[in-house]
Amino acid sequence: MARPHIEPFVDRDVSFKKMTLPGFPKGMHYKMLSLDTDTGACSMTVMYENGYVQPPGMSYADMELFIMSGYLESDEKRYTPGSYFWVPPGVHMPALRAPRGCVALMFYNYAEPSFVESDSDHQLAERDNLTIVNAYEDMHWTSTNFFPATASGCLVKVLRFDQRTQAFTFLYCMTPNFWQDNISYHDCAEEAYHIWGTSWMMQFGNLPTGGYFWRPPYINHGAFACKLGTLALGRTDSQLYNHFHFNPWTTPEENRERAASRMLAWKPELYRWIEQHGGHNHPHVPNDFEYDGQGDPHAIAHAHGVPHDHGDGHHHHEHEEKPKRRRRRRSN
Amino acid sequence: MVKVIEHKVSREVKAWLKKEAAEQKERYKKIVAEQEALSPKRDKWVADFLERIQSRGFNVHADMLRKIPAAEIPKKPRRRFKVVF
Ligand SMILES: [Fe+2]
Repeated sequence: MARPHIEPFVDRDVSFKKMTLPGFPKGMHYKMLSLDTDTGACSMTVMYENGYVQPPGMSYADMELFIMSGYLESDEKRYTPGSYFWVPPGVHMPALRAPRGCVALMFYNYAEPSFVESDSDHQLAERDNLTIVNAYEDMHWTSTNFFPATASGCLVKVLRFDQRTQAFTFLYCMTPNFWQDNISYHDCAEEAYHIWGTSWMMQFGNLPTGGYFWRPPYINHGAFACKLGTLALGRTDSQLYNHFHFNPWTTPEENRERAASRMLAWKPELYRWIEQHGGHNHPHVPNDFEYDGQGDPHAIAHAHGVPHDHGDGHHHHEHEEKPKRRRRRRSN
Repeated sequence: MVKVIEHKVSREVKAWLKKEAAEQKERYKKIVAEQEALSPKRDKWVADFLERIQSRGFNVHADMLRKIPAAEIPKKPRRRFKVVF
């Protein structure tokens, strides 16, 4: 994970830039919120000019889009504020227009932004995973049902849930006079953007409308408070667990070690199995029969980015020596 | 699930990424400096928090509160207090 800790950042403090990446039509502007400098994955606030037209097309990586103001329309449908898209790699979208302009949040999870004109899906596209929902109109607020949970007054609408990694994208709100007196950290990276409202965290102070953070795992945040209410979009890159405590001065290393110790207390059998089978000298990537089948362990190690041995006694994180082969273009 | 469809990353895209990475570095530095400047306020916020969890309580789960005994309140370590990593 190569996104730095960007917290807090307020996009109102910077101006939009023209999107100049090849493939993207004219009339698209962006503010970079955070960028993975290894993969090009990024989060941006985007603004489509009045009269913007995007031809039918697809992206090489999955893309999430959340409309905050204005609207996008296709021949069939108008996508108003609250509309959320999760478009898997290679799934083509119809022509989209923004007759009166539109401001949205755009996220690429695994690679740099790309747009390729196409009126059909790529052969590897998984169209059944395409998600389009209007979070404002079609969904209801629910309480966060994690244990331990955030205080009452923090409500969510889950827009996407990745069954494999448990990463999820959610709209959340804090009601006026919300407060929660604990310090939290997670095993996952956490990201959020304030669509409206100001909330406060003990480490970073007030985060206003347009406020954003990308927070790597194990970083303390909280206590929390919100005077007038906040509406925000949040995302994680894997399972979110609230590790609560009240020591303001712990480091991410100490937090991670505590998380590992808690894992031993909560799942002793599993912890010992991993310790036995996944130790440094005998790396073994566990096989998930649901996803990996009876797969080749070496291929599975690659799929998960897990360090492993090529039989020569050296551990490799990935085959960085052959980037060109891995990025070979496939016809669409 | 396919995460990324293999494709060629053009020189133009690489240059864009390089520029964005450099700008992000500057953004990060600015954040670190701003957060450093917030230290005196933060120390006060922390003192208030440690007081509240003893009087009103610490949120163990949802609205379940526990009043933390004075003996359990952590002491500020000598090392520098960082919040951005
Ligand atoms: Fe969090």
